[in-house]
Amino acid sequence: MLTNIVKNELKRIVGADNASFSKEDLLCYSYDATNSLHLPEAVVFPATAEEISLILKMANAEGFPVIPRGAGTGFSGGSLPVEGGVVISTERMKAVIEIDPDNLTAIAEPGVVTWEFQQEVEKLGLFYPPDPSSLKFSTIGGNIAECAGGPRAVKYGVTKDYVLGLEVVLPTGEIINTGVRTAKGVVGYDITKLMVGSEGTLGIVTKATLKLLPLPETIKTMLAIFPDLKDAAKAVSGIIRAKVIPSTLELIDSVCIKCVEEYAQVGLPQAEAVLLIEVDGSFDTVDKDSEVVKRICAGNGSTEVRIANDKKEVKDLWKARRAISASLFRVKPNKINEDIVVPRSAIPELIAGLQEIGKKRNLLIAGFGHAGDGNIHVNIMYDKKDPKESKEAQEAVVDVFGLTIKLGGTLSGEHGVGITKAPYLKMELTEASIDAMKRIKAAFDPKGILNPGKIFPKADKAQADRLKEPV
Amino acid sequence: MRDLSDLKDELEKCVRCGTCRSVCPVFRVAGREPSAARGKLTLIESYMKGEIGLTETYLKHLKECTLCGACRQNCPNSVNTVEIFNAARIDAATKNGIPLAASLIFKNLLDDRILPWALKMATRLQGLIFKDSSVEKGLLSRFSLPIIGSGRLLPPLANKFFMELPEVKALSKQEQGSKGPKIAFYAGCGINYLMPEVGTATLEVLKKAGTRVIVPEGQVCCGMPAFSMGDEKIARNMALKNLEAFEAHEFDFITTSCATCGHGLKNLFRKLLGDNSELKDRVEAFCSKVRDITELLVNELDYLNKAGNEKKGELIATYHDPCHLGRAQGLRDAPRYLIEKCSAVNLKEMKNPCSCCGLGGGLSTTNYDLSINITKRKVDNIKGSGADIVVTACPGCMVQLRDGLHKFGVKAKVAHVVELL
Repeated sequence: MLTNIVKNELKRIVGADNASFSKEDLLCYSYDATNSLHLPEAVVFPATAEEISLILKMANAEGFPVIPRGAGTGFSGGSLPVEGGVVISTERMKAVIEIDPDNLTAIAEPGVVTWEFQQEVEKLGLFYPPDPSSLKFSTIGGNIAECAGGPRAVKYGVTKDYVLGLEVVLPTGEIINTGVRTAKGVVGYDITKLMVGSEGTLGIVTKATLKLLPLPETIKTMLAIFPDLKDAAKAVSGIIRAKVIPSTLELIDSVCIKCVEEYAQVGLPQAEAVLLIEVDGSFDTVDKDSEVVKRICAGNGSTEVRIANDKKEVKDLWKARRAISASLFRVKPNKINEDIVVPRSAIPELIAGLQEIGKKRNLLIAGFGHAGDGNIHVNIMYDKKDPKESKEAQEAVVDVFGLTIKLGGTLSGEHGVGITKAPYLKMELTEASIDAMKRIKAAFDPKGILNPGKIFPKADKAQADRLKEPV
Repeated sequence: MRDLSDLKDELEKCVRCGTCRSVCPVFRVAGREPSAARGKLTLIESYMKGEIGLTETYLKHLKECTLCGACRQNCPNSVNTVEIFNAARIDAATKNGIPLAASLIFKNLLDDRILPWALKMATRLQGLIFKDSSVEKGLLSRFSLPIIGSGRLLPPLANKFFMELPEVKALSKQEQGSKGPKIAFYAGCGINYLMPEVGTATLEVLKKAGTRVIVPEGQVCCGMPAFSMGDEKIARNMALKNLEAFEAHEFDFITTSCATCGHGLKNLFRKLLGDNSELKDRVEAFCSKVRDITELLVNELDYLNKAGNEKKGELIATYHDPCHLGRAQGLRDAPRYLIEKCSAVNLKEMKNPCSCCGLGGGLSTTNYDLSINITKRKVDNIKGSGADIVVTACPGCMVQLRDGLHKFGVKAKVAHVVELL
């Protein structure tokens, strides 16, 4: 429980208009895209690193949890106040401070919406590639905390590949600058990389120096239609083997096609699978690469390859792609959404395995996502009001994770562990590596006040026993 | 009509993905979660579960919405947010009552005699309270007024209301002419009290299009403002009164030059009266004949071919999509076709032509600052287009756009599509 002294102090630090304790406001900061609700005791809207520093120092002295939050659109519960405490929203820190075309860098505050940042840099002919499906509403700060990926990762990598340096408030309140604003830099430990993807457990980012690229000259968007899902998976490997690296190589299965077509009505065909493919670069390269892609898709059983003719067709295809996750609720009221990754070459095996798990557990498992880099979003659909189906769905998660590890993959490509994957951490990591991570956490946050209850599983014996041994 | 308790399943469809944050005009200005649909739905759900009451904060958040429908249109899970927000407002108004001033206005709008009289008195007095603004036609309030505040550009009340113009009165019982499709014109409050010139322009266009026009007497407010403030009962009475006024005549179509009224006549009437078994067929017959003026001209009267290929002048125009026309009635092309083919101006699109002007949902009266800051974004986009004229199809948007353009110092004129034809 926050004392009145703490509440008054919070108001003094950020200003009375920027601190709220009303039940109504707390409810609005109690959830994220996992759709579970955990009520905080306060929500504050600081404007500077100094304000955040004061709050964290007080949290250490008084012992209350602090939870950083961007737009609250994460899929693993990273911004949920699971142990109560004070939510620090970055909604007021939304300035793009600088764009430097000479050095191809930009400095942004954490609350800037990723899409808006991209629009700003693109005006100058520059390019910030990370593109999570939530890019129109998620923030740079949140993207950094979760190391967000996206379709373009197959060619351009993920958020961590574009963070050069950070201004971070440490859990103990010190404000530090990490990294560099140059192309290279090896002075000291790479704390920047450690912070990216640490899910708001090691520090609160207050400024980010980001790497930019020149904006590609042109993009061609294509849709390849497959009567057999496994053929689509084979085409993915085929394209890479032909030494074409598309900027997007997305797989959408029949369940997803149906749901998203209902929502967006963009004329997706009724097929077992489609690949959404983009190639970018100079006009010459794009023409050449798109021909290769077409040939390989046709050679792997694709019945048709459509090319988007104008901006509207491209926009429609992307609108459909980005809406898949939420539109899946049209088939079942609940879903478990995992974002496993396997080596690209193992995708056909993964797809076959998922179909088997679905059959065995009598569940609908929808798959879509970044086939180009092996990151498939597996959606296990169920109705939580049906106890048997709920139980099967929970068991299916373990099956899916088991299969992923067997194929040499990892449990999460871009959503993070948070609270949703914490119980399964030991399927991938050994005791020793979890212990090393815990020691890092303790070194940064000795009192454990920053975003507690995330990543590391609670010591729950029954659950631990149920899980398989690490491989 | 479904009330709040019937909408539990609809509420549960929200999975809190956050897409609404990217399209909500209020969120873009206010920047905090309770202004986005996701926050409001959470509050309404908690209220229904009894976790919070009808608190001031709850009501404030309910009101901070223009009911523009952008969240609904972009929701990947198709949550009918607008229906939920309206139901929550009605629920709150039923339990708490609606503000006295608003309630009085709505009651008077129900009667086609009292308000005109009161407003006529006001027309004579408005010089005392307002000063003329040099920017187009508009009045600046001299001092702070209840609800209105000071320094706000308001349209003056018309010297003579549309429904009382002799040429309109002549059409109140019987149409002129003997051939062509028969059209019943619904004026609406904006045209009647504030912009009779838009009404007159509409009548002229209808004449050019070769129709016979009647303007039925006894028509009253469409009920949209009352409904959006949660006063369902008054809205229902208004709908009934309009139904009767129009049923006294025979015609092929009902048309209006107000996007909001059009949405009201087409969709709200069905909702308000449709579940009454006695009225169902009558309402259906009425609603199925309603067309927005742009829709009527393009789809029913072949106006593009009759009056097309107007010679283009120098002026550049940009088109603002009223929420109640573009989103609520799906009419984005018809007004643009008319501007392109039948007017002397050159159409140039602005950025985000579909984003809300900031007026709707009662926001301009409940929170003017927020409302005009939404307009500011619109005004910036208008400025960016370099247009000399902003064209739209709703008197409500016209009022708000004129106020915003004046406030933020952008010299563009505002016109209704029909005024260019």
